[in-house]
Amino acid sequence: MANLQKTRTPDQTRFIEALIPAQINEMAWGKDLRQEHTQALENLSFPTRKSEGWKYTQLRGLFKESYQWYSGEASLDLEPYLIPNWEGDIMVFLNGVYQAQWSDLSRNQDQLLVKAFSQLSEDELAEFNALKPLASADQSGIFGALNAAGATEGVWIKLKRGQQAAAPIHILHLSQANDQPLGQQHRNVIQLEASAEAQVVESFYALGEGKCFRNDATDIHVGPNAGLEWIKLQLQSKTSTAIDTTEVHLADDCRFGIYTLTFGGQLIRNNLHLSLDGQNIEAKLMGTYLLDGQQHVDNFTQVDHRKPNSYSNELYKGIMDETATGVFSGRIHVYQEAQKTNAYQSNRNILLTDRANIYTRPQLEIYADDVKCSHGATTGKLEEDAMFYLQARGIPADEARKMLIHAYVMEVVDHISLDSVREMVDALIQARY
Amino acid sequence: MINIKNLHASVEEKQILKGLNLTINPGEVHAIMGPNGSGKSTLASVLAGKEAYEVEEGEVLFNGKDLLDLDPDERAGEGLFLAFQYPVEIPGVSMTNFMRTSLNAVRSYRGEEPLSAGAFLKLMKEKQKIVELDTTLTKRSVNEGFSGGEKKRNEIFQMAMLEPTFCILDETDSGLDIDALRIVSQAVNQLRSEDNSFLVITHYQRLLDYIVPDFVHVMHEGKIVKTGGKELALELEEKGYDWLKAGAASL
Repeated sequence: MANLQKTRTPDQTRFIEALIPAQINEMAWGKDLRQEHTQALENLSFPTRKSEGWKYTQLRGLFKESYQWYSGEASLDLEPYLIPNWEGDIMVFLNGVYQAQWSDLSRNQDQLLVKAFSQLSEDELAEFNALKPLASADQSGIFGALNAAGATEGVWIKLKRGQQAAAPIHILHLSQANDQPLGQQHRNVIQLEASAEAQVVESFYALGEGKCFRNDATDIHVGPNAGLEWIKLQLQSKTSTAIDTTEVHLADDCRFGIYTLTFGGQLIRNNLHLSLDGQNIEAKLMGTYLLDGQQHVDNFTQVDHRKPNSYSNELYKGIMDETATGVFSGRIHVYQEAQKTNAYQSNRNILLTDRANIYTRPQLEIYADDVKCSHGATTGKLEEDAMFYLQARGIPADEARKMLIHAYVMEVVDHISLDSVREMVDALIQARY
Repeated sequence: MINIKNLHASVEEKQILKGLNLTINPGEVHAIMGPNGSGKSTLASVLAGKEAYEVEEGEVLFNGKDLLDLDPDERAGEGLFLAFQYPVEIPGVSMTNFMRTSLNAVRSYRGEEPLSAGAFLKLMKEKQKIVELDTTLTKRSVNEGFSGGEKKRNEIFQMAMLEPTFCILDETDSGLDIDALRIVSQAVNQLRSEDNSFLVITHYQRLLDYIVPDFVHVMHEGKIVKTGGKELALELEEKGYDWLKAGAASL
């Protein structure tokens, strides 16, 4: 234990300490376990380029910044950060602090439990802590453990058997940094019991040019025959760094879709792990990353098929402009017991310049013998033949390019069932190119 | 209408067109025949402005303008239309959206107002009928999952929508059964007028029974080696190209 700790640089130690602020000890949720997590953290070291799964993403710059957690000024205009035509509830967090005055849970509150950790009643708190909600955090690596030890706030969504959310829920994260780099951690704990259904959109903004870092973690448990759609919109400014760790457990007959749409951020790493623990599950994990400048976005995904007869479909599509870098790792593990698995994975990329980069690594590990699985990765330029076809019909080059990019990305976006989100993303793409 | 003088063009440093001359006047239909590799499709691509082709020498005047100086979309705006030999599938772009963007881009180039949604849909319906294009196809992505014949009819449909003055049909008849050929030919004949010209590239004389040309040219090694009336096509069908190749070699 002590040896490992020694492998940490002074920068890394300072980084960890800054992300576990002193105020954490006053927080009632997760109290009993926090000490354990802080200790567990001591046994973990930060990945280097030699670590499995971190070959193309460097964190050195991250540890050099002096991040601190502080609250923001709640006097901003919220309008630009809302989803147009949204018909649902909203929870707003500014620098990780729950903003009750901007939040509205009226559509769901009588029915299900949707609350910020800081708003839990005593009874709820007892129930929450008894869950040991962060118990598995250490298994999701050092960033998961760091989040368990230092997250200052979070969202707990619990749907009881057969409950259906009356409206979708939007979790809006705003970060507002001043001259001092802002470091913050947020956690979501999501539980859907049998046959429950919900849709959640999580959007991330960093306001202004101040430097921000966030290390977020989400634990999702979808019960038998339940359904959950989860959409992440990463729209931070280009002075932002983010690490997002999402652990998903899926039970028999459930339906689950997760969409990670990355437009912003300087350096983003998304760790997504789906564990298909039951049979007859239908899981979609899809993403798109539209990058330019020096953006670096790394999607690291793993899907475990543990039982027979389930289906998973993974589709990630990226467009890299200027000197941006995209990284994709996808591993599908089909256990020996998981016969009749259907698992598909595809990563497709377009490089708009010669200086843009993509590193893609699809992996299939199959230990069952009666399965249908495929994986593949492609990288290319915008299709010249299609460009010429559009131009030959009178459409100017700029507009033709825009049409093709839009069509390319919408293949992912069209899977999202919430109209307002699809329309918002559609508009973002139109505005971008 | 179009005046091609001494056109030399290459692709990937391979010279394909080697001094081609051709003049087409308003109202005329010209057919170009010739063996594989003679440069017929290259001529079509060069005229439409495909980037991969490099023009090394010669000039092309289109209604008095330097055609080679224009971008492909500007050429379309000027009234040039290429019916592709292999129409491209464009997943995610619906036929309707594509056609509306195309039509309005061409109208804008010509200084006309965009069509209203209602007027556009009415025009679509009208022109679909001409080529007997199934209405369900226009709800799909451009050419995606279309059969070979449907793709070719879709090209002629687009031609009818855009009302070009100079149309190049690049082997539009290849692979069509007789019914589809008849539909395509009828559509082309409907668009024929004193002001419109056609350049019909084909392997098969059969098409020329339906679209009767004013002139037939034979292309060989990047040049036109023989020009005649519609009876030349019949002669080619009978005798093949070898007698012309021999003649060209001795020139």
